[in-house]
Amino acid sequence: MRAEDLVEQVPTVTRATTGAEAARVVAEYRLSGLVVADESGEPIAVVPGSQLFGLVLPRWVRDDRKLVHAYDEAGADDLCRRLNESTIGDLLDDEKLTAKKLPSVLPEDTLLEIASAMDEAHSPVVVVRDADGTFRGVLTMSRVLAAVATAAGQDSDLVRRRLAKDIILRGTPDESGPTREAP
Amino acid sequence: MTVSAVLAVVVFAGAYVLIASEKVNRTAVALGGAALMVLIGVVRGGDVFFSEETGVDWNVIFLLLGMMVIVGVLRQTGVFEFVAIWAAQRARARPFRMMALLIVITAVASALLDNVTTVLLVAPVTLLLCDRLALAPVPFLLAEAMASNIGGTATLIGDPPNIIIASRAGLTFNDFLVNLAPIVVVLLGVFLALAWLLWGRRMVYDPERAASVMALTPRETIADARLLRRMLVVLGLVLLGFLTHNLTHLEPSLVALLGAGASVLLSRLPSDEYLEDVEWETLLFFAGLFVMVGALVKAGVISELASSLTSAIGDNYLPAALGILGGSAVLSGIVDNIPYVATMAPLVHDLVGPGAGLPPAQQSLWWALALGADLGGNATAIGASANVVITGIARRNDHPISFWTFTRYGLVVTAVTIAVCIPYVWIRYFVVT
Repeated sequence: MRAEDLVEQVPTVTRATTGAEAARVVAEYRLSGLVVADESGEPIAVVPGSQLFGLVLPRWVRDDRKLVHAYDEAGADDLCRRLNESTIGDLLDDEKLTAKKLPSVLPEDTLLEIASAMDEAHSPVVVVRDADGTFRGVLTMSRVLAAVATAAGQDSDLVRRRLAKDIILRGTPDESGPTREAP
Repeated sequence: MTVSAVLAVVVFAGAYVLIASEKVNRTAVALGGAALMVLIGVVRGGDVFFSEETGVDWNVIFLLLGMMVIVGVLRQTGVFEFVAIWAAQRARARPFRMMALLIVITAVASALLDNVTTVLLVAPVTLLLCDRLALAPVPFLLAEAMASNIGGTATLIGDPPNIIIASRAGLTFNDFLVNLAPIVVVLLGVFLALAWLLWGRRMVYDPERAASVMALTPRETIADARLLRRMLVVLGLVLLGFLTHNLTHLEPSLVALLGAGASVLLSRLPSDEYLEDVEWETLLFFAGLFVMVGALVKAGVISELASSLTSAIGDNYLPAALGILGGSAVLSGIVDNIPYVATMAPLVHDLVGPGAGLPPAQQSLWWALALGADLGGNATAIGASANVVITGIARRNDHPISFWTFTRYGLVVTAVTIAVCIPYVWIRYFVVT
């Protein structure tokens, strides 16, 4: 299987998207990472989903993890609400939590080349571009691993469904979807 | 002056300018300068590794290394976070009371450990407390950097310049306690009053916000109570080792290394965790610096300078002591006080000899150097390592402290604390005796 067989469209966010909106998109689509696009829709960065916690945790807590235990429930909820005040741009600018540079593969790349690109960039998402740089879509970790599992003989209905539909087409988890506009 | 002496001075001055400019990594400069001193033939391998006067001062290096490992283990326990939050709650989250307690905690911890690590541990919890209280954290961070420099002045291990002075002058932990701790207690009181005038009187108490600090659970920050108990015992024994030097004759560096070994054994932490706090770059900086200063000693530059100063000073030790006190305060504000003291210590050594057993008037020069360099470090944002660390933390947390913001307050604090030291040096070493 090649990259062009697995390419899919995912919701994208921009630098101006708030942390709260980004968290909602990740939750709604069960994404493992977010693609950040510029105003023209061109992808500029990939943010692994776990890095969104960098917007929840204040810098002083990331400097001294033991402090996280000092917060009571109300204090923790208060910090979560601050996701509305921070943006994906803040995350991209954070020197400690810089989001991954945009890893990309060619449409004709094999599973091994895709795996190598994801592994090297420690990224759950890579973009697919033609040789001339035209953006074709992205590869998500779950879909790539579905292809890897199939190649390894671990086939199942759910794996086949994951291979058959991309994230936008399969919609939100209750399958009621199509798709909502990307923020 | 010989050709090698001139070359040594040129290399040293060039390195000093580069270090002061902060344009180039200071460790690279120190090591580069040391390499040049070797290449121009001023110092040889034997001088670098085995000479106490002209080589790397291993006592200083290993004392720092040992204390860094001890702190590396101690910080895993969460005790610093606990104490800071506990103190804020004891102050009922009233801003100035909280600041005052944090100043005292920082000063005491800096005296017992080292001031860089202390501010590294106190700053994050301070940011948390200020965030809860919706207070600007900059005054608190400034106060803590300055408190760490004042508190660190009290002991041999509190501030790196003191470690260098102790090693070069042969002064013990107790010598520092007896000579510097009393004035540091006074200075701390003065600094609390200054903190009120500079920042505290404008702080506003908000009972609702205070409630959110009172809701914090400091006990939860203790990650390993068993390790904490063990580490308090180790730290107590290390301090006992420093205090009983006259009986055991164990060098402070050996006491710190034994403490570090015990900490590692008792904690069973993986090496990457207890070595996390070891600032290898700082240790290398010290090594390079010692070689550069050693080259000046070996080339006879320091002794020539000392002999001309000796003839100028004669028996007038009071103006000499006050000159060193004031001059060190000014120069330590301009350049990092570590290279300054590394350069001055051999000079003072040549002027009056090793500190132990000297008459008070002559010994006053050593104490004036320590007070001037340690307290002078408060003058600017680059005067002491703790200041650099605090401004870095503030910047990362979106509360930048500009050079001039620091200097505006730092100059006031330095001027007042040095002014308090002048009568102390005069009365203690020239009047009472």
